[in-house]
Amino acid sequence: MLRKRIIFALIYSNGYFMQSRNFRLQRVGDISWLEKNYKFKEIAKFLDELIVVDATKEHKDKEQFHKVVSRLVEGVFIPVTAGGGIKSTLDAEALFNSGADKVTINTSIYYRRDVVKEIISKYGSQSVVASVDYKLIDDQIILYSRDGSNREEITLDDYINIVHDLGVGEVYFNSMNKDGTGFGYDVDIINAYSSKFTMPLIVAGGAGNEKHLHEAINIENVEAVATANLFNFVGNGLPNARKYLLDNNVNLARW
Amino acid sequence: MKIIIIDYGMGNIHSLNSALIESGCTNVKLSSDYKLIQTADKIILPGVGNFSKAMDLIKIRNLEESLYDFVVVKQKPILGICLGMQILGLSSTEDGKRDGLRFINGVVERFNSNGVKIPHVGYNQVQTNPQTVLLKSLPELSDFYFTHSYKMLSDEDINQSICHYSEDFIACYEKDNIAGTQFHPELSQKNGLTLLKNFIEKF
Repeated sequence: MLRKRIIFALIYSNGYFMQSRNFRLQRVGDISWLEKNYKFKEIAKFLDELIVVDATKEHKDKEQFHKVVSRLVEGVFIPVTAGGGIKSTLDAEALFNSGADKVTINTSIYYRRDVVKEIISKYGSQSVVASVDYKLIDDQIILYSRDGSNREEITLDDYINIVHDLGVGEVYFNSMNKDGTGFGYDVDIINAYSSKFTMPLIVAGGAGNEKHLHEAINIENVEAVATANLFNFVGNGLPNARKYLLDNNVNLARW
Repeated sequence: MKIIIIDYGMGNIHSLNSALIESGCTNVKLSSDYKLIQTADKIILPGVGNFSKAMDLIKIRNLEESLYDFVVVKQKPILGICLGMQILGLSSTEDGKRDGLRFINGVVERFNSNGVKIPHVGYNQVQTNPQTVLLKSLPELSDFYFTHSYKMLSDEDINQSICHYSEDFIACYEKDNIAGTQFHPELSQKNGLTLLKNFIEKF
């Protein structure tokens, strides 16, 4: 039986890991801080996957980020997805060479579809995760690119068709309204749209505790739940959340 | 124990390298050089992506002979992972029909999408074949990480262990000195490390 997954997403900017709230970033600590306070190799044993995104607003220092990716994957035996600012196949290649198993692509899904196609043809569908940020405005789902700063005109239905046609392997569906709030996932929207995705769906935005993870992971056609909340899941937060879900018979991998 | 990971530019060898070290093999090298490959005790053929492209790269880097001499002539142990497992087989229907290395009687086809999402991504339970060396000491149902759109089938007994995703397919096989896993042991937590340890020590 295919298992559902718990994914931790790390938001990185300019050398530091960030707590994001509605896409406003607050600096938390650098990689040494993360290793010390999160004991990442230990925590990773309770995770199914890891995502790390470079959300530096201007002038991303790619080399520095590649080093962070290499250091993160060391001794972590789960898939790692990396991304942020991928504009070319070479950008993706550099992340794969740093140890990423997949890349996540957001803005280039709107503006550089030929690049996305090229990455997929070279590395396969399973190596590309399309990340889509959305906001609910007057009950309308509005998509945003460029780290949440640029409003896009296409609808979510259009977007789903586009990523389907591109052959993208998975979608990371992220609510900007819920991001970092800890109030729970955008369950109504997820329920309304999860069955439209033809590829595995990762939902993100709003998880504050294990009950939120539980609520979203049980939605049909949701394959994975992600959280980027460094504060709410610090210390034993993730091990305890996994135990809670397993105790509640959620279909997770067991080791 | 010297293990060489075959370098043909397909896939992430970072995690594989550190998983092998974690599983107790201190001498791990990456190479596409004929002479060096022949000096290995065991080799690993990794790979993600497109079947035809992988076969093209195997040919461009003159790896066919290296692999044939190591695996068929010398009968030394090889482990194929994911796409590496598939190209050890007869053929694939990815991009028309393309021959593999033909060391193993298995054919590769796209998943039927009977109501399931493709690619097949995530941890799935493998019914571990008790006759196998690689899965020794793992439970009857063991979780491993899969990520693929094509699956292998075989009409021969190649000591396969089965996984199910809308249909049964080969999760791993081992026949004589040739083994392959559709899943990624290097991304499968403790279960994957146990399998790699078995490959290093017992296969």
